[in-house]
Amino acid sequence: MSVEVEVNENDLAEMVEQVWSSYLDPEGLNPLIPTYDQNQPSEVHSSVSITGSWTGHVVYASSTLAANRAAAAFLAMEVDEVSVDDMSDVLGELANIIGGNVKAMLPPGALLSLPQVVLAPENTTIYPTAVRISGVYGIWDGEPVSISMWHSRSDNKEVDE
Amino acid sequence: MRAMVIDDSRAMRMILKRIVEKLNFEAVEAGDGREALDRLEEMSEVPELALIDWNMPNMNGLEFVTHVRADPRLREMTLVMVTTESEQSQIVRALAAGAHEYVIKPFTEGAMIEKLALLGLVPTGVNS
Repeated sequence: MSVEVEVNENDLAEMVEQVWSSYLDPEGLNPLIPTYDQNQPSEVHSSVSITGSWTGHVVYASSTLAANRAAAAFLAMEVDEVSVDDMSDVLGELANIIGGNVKAMLPPGALLSLPQVVLAPENTTIYPTAVRISGVYGIWDGEPVSISMWHSRSDNKEVDE
Repeated sequence: MRAMVIDDSRAMRMILKRIVEKLNFEAVEAGDGREALDRLEEMSEVPELALIDWNMPNMNGLEFVTHVRADPRLREMTLVMVTTESEQSQIVRALAAGAHEYVIKPFTEGAMIEKLALLGLVPTGVNS
């Protein structure tokens, strides 16, 4: 049986802020500035799937430059030293961290997948039967970054029933 | 002193490695629980500390903790789970399996050092 879940924009924003202050902006100089634009462009994205008591996906998407900057921050290196493997690894870990914290807010019995990384815009991945239910959309150091949460529609249907 | 850093993300291993090296540990890396056990088998001296992710391919962190606790040679290792698995039930499972401490991602360097200090693993003079 599926359960109604409320993980809203504020919850996501709080998680995102923790990620920024822990890894991407520990000095507090470059926060993610909200744009509230869920159609902002992306060039790369990563996701984790959640199954069990709730079914859906958590997606991290950004420009390639923002992803490279994130990798540089994690790995303590210069942006021009970041390889595609570095960027993919960090994109996967960002989805994992945010997805894991989302899962913690869900009813017991939810399982988190290993992350998936796609070096293409967010809209190149389709999550069948899923709808976007919340998201944080912003600009980080001039580059687009978004974190969104998608709920499986089949799961919604069960709730309605 | 040696610390084993076990995480399938190289970026996370780098972050943890920087922290333990700051505490004068020599860091040894592994990408999953299976690789960590293989590396431990090759070592003549067992590391004092292992920082362990939960969700990893091949062998997850909980399975690794269970293996370590069943091996008398590895009994003295301090095991710290470092994971996004933050539900109370998961924390209880990890501690019941034999983990000493639990750190939830995301964490700051200071928070990690404070946890390790509570375990008596921070040398005097290192400022968290």
